[in-house]
Amino acid sequence: MRYDFPASPNDPNGRRIRNPGLEPWTVPMKILLIEDDPDTSRFVANGLRERGHVVDQSEDGRDGLFLASEAGYDVMVIDRMLPRVDGLAIVKTVRAAGVKAPVLLLTTLGGVNDRVEGLEAGADDYLVKPFAFAELLARVNALARRPPITGEESLLRVADLEMDRLKRTVARSGRRIDLQQQEFKLLEYLMRNAGHVVTRTMLLENVWEFHFDPRTSVVETHISRLRAKVDRDFDRELIHTVRGSGYCLSDAP
Amino acid sequence: MTLRNFFSSSSFRLVAWCAAVFGVSVAVLLLTVYWITLAAIEQQLRDSVERESRLLVEIHAARGHDALLRGVQRRISDLRSPRRVLLLQDASGRLVAGNLPVMTPVMGWTTLDVPAPPADQVVKGDDAPPGSAVIALGRRLPGGEFLLVGENLYRAEKAEEAIALAFAWGIVTTVLLALGGGALITAGFLKRIEEVNRTSRSIMDGNLSNRVPTRGSGDEMDQLAFNLNAMLDRIQALMESVKRVSDDIAHDLRTPLSRLRQRLELARARVATPEGYAAVMDQSIVELDAILETFQALLRIAQIEAGTRHAAFAEVDLDAIVFAVAETFAPVAEDSGHKLQASVEGSVTVHGDRGLLTQMAANLLENSIRHCAPGAAIAMTLTREGGVPVLRISDTGRGIPEAEREKVFRRFYRLETSRTTPGNGLGLALVKAVADLHGAAIELSDNGPGLRVTVRFSGFPEDHASPVRTETVPEQPAFSADRTVVS
Repeated sequence: MRYDFPASPNDPNGRRIRNPGLEPWTVPMKILLIEDDPDTSRFVANGLRERGHVVDQSEDGRDGLFLASEAGYDVMVIDRMLPRVDGLAIVKTVRAAGVKAPVLLLTTLGGVNDRVEGLEAGADDYLVKPFAFAELLARVNALARRPPITGEESLLRVADLEMDRLKRTVARSGRRIDLQQQEFKLLEYLMRNAGHVVTRTMLLENVWEFHFDPRTSVVETHISRLRAKVDRDFDRELIHTVRGSGYCLSDAP
Repeated sequence: MTLRNFFSSSSFRLVAWCAAVFGVSVAVLLLTVYWITLAAIEQQLRDSVERESRLLVEIHAARGHDALLRGVQRRISDLRSPRRVLLLQDASGRLVAGNLPVMTPVMGWTTLDVPAPPADQVVKGDDAPPGSAVIALGRRLPGGEFLLVGENLYRAEKAEEAIALAFAWGIVTTVLLALGGGALITAGFLKRIEEVNRTSRSIMDGNLSNRVPTRGSGDEMDQLAFNLNAMLDRIQALMESVKRVSDDIAHDLRTPLSRLRQRLELARARVATPEGYAAVMDQSIVELDAILETFQALLRIAQIEAGTRHAAFAEVDLDAIVFAVAETFAPVAEDSGHKLQASVEGSVTVHGDRGLLTQMAANLLENSIRHCAPGAAIAMTLTREGGVPVLRISDTGRGIPEAEREKVFRRFYRLETSRTTPGNGLGLALVKAVADLHGAAIELSDNGPGLRVTVRFSGFPEDHASPVRTETVPEQPAFSADRTVVS
């Protein structure tokens, strides 16, 4: 398959290209990947390139730090343990230098306090290795479209679905939908990430603040309840299940 | 402890220095006393001689030469003062009376070496040896005679010697006592140090359970021993936790890994179609994820047990956590055909880790949802009993036989009846670890029928209670309606 790349990944027109696989639509991004394990690095970089992104790789903390502070990346994926300069130090340094690009920190299994440390250092998200590629992709995409902290809209709209975050009301095609608090939070997260895949883990972390894997089908159950309220009485489904990845709220069929 | 050790020990050096300084001060003190005593004795002798001399001069002035002569002779033969020395010479230097040989008159104080008196003149009882020194006062009388009155210094010299000897012994004894006492203290101190050393060596040799003996005296050495022991306890707990994790990994991850390997091997040999391969791959990934999850759970439990998360402790509103967890799982319970009822009494705050407490509440609730046959009534309550927050989760399922209730907290322990339910057998082990970390007691009991789990945060008595508690009216219904979740 051939892709028609825009001249720059940050094309102001935001040209969209059709993508196979997980994300139906993607704005190509310039991504920096600092990862010392060559297999993981190749796996991640190839996966991101297949989705149309431009990836710069570095296997060394110092070179990575140099790249991270020089060029303007849309997202940076940084391993926590790196030779010469470790991932946390890179994040701290580039944050101190005023680099605002979102950072996804990769870490090995088991560090219970690592998540907090990583976020405190200035990382925006955190992913434990080993991970499914779909999880990484969904998180990178979510980071790239992270809205600025100021100017959050109080009104969210996807197709004929509307949410007023201040009045805490939801309506579809003008018909009011009554949601419980958790359903509201879930729909809000889906609408903020409309058009993009959000994984089960992302929902657990962001909607319920669960940093563990429940052993019952919490997410599935809540999604199904939400669907019953948002989609059942309407012709077009907005909440889609993306097999092997997660969910996507989108206008597209 | 060798002798070399003993003398090179810092405490002995300290003691030696102390003994030296002490000995020198005692010596200076005693010497001062010695000199003052000697001066006093000499002064006494001079006073006595002076008195005697003046008396004789007065006798001469008042009663004349003959009276003086008689006085001198009487004094010479007086046995009560055998050491008295007298000499009376006339103006031409001839001996008139006395017990000294004739001499050139010397006026004022003088010290004489007296030759031994002739054997027949030795007065009985006088122990003055020959040739002893005499302190004497010479005077010229108005008639030109020379009168010398003196006292033998022998007694004074003897007293001087006795005092010197006593003082010398005093100094020697002082130094010896100081050294001996010091040695005893040092030996006691070294013995305790040696106990610490012996324990350290023994631990280095692999006897990790060894501890430094304490005496219960609460002194500095006891405190040191106590702190060392506490440190060793902590290290041992950490090592045991690491060992348990590696044992668990060795025992309980080998089975699923072997199973995965067999599956892949079989697929390699038998599967022929791409669809078949895809199915095997999907299954393998699911299985591998389960293994990784187990691995993660083991490490998490180990970290919780090691107590490293105390640093992340904060005041946590347990009521909000319980309420949120109940709200989250209510639809899940309903879909499984259960009835979930949750109630929270007032505001309950504990000092703890929010993430772990959430996971604990979720784990317990999920246990009930997963292990009960459809139609069970599950209740989750958070109350205060005697000022202690108590979390209860009860269901009307099969329950756990009494004999098994303690075992279910073990890692990988699964009841026969729940073998068919998916799970890694680590859920309750994690719950227990979280409860222990928060100083909470966890208890399983019969709900008649079913299981009741009680988590009592007894580590958090009144002082951690929120003020709301104290205002609670006893007649108030235990379940406040506005905080109740019913599915």
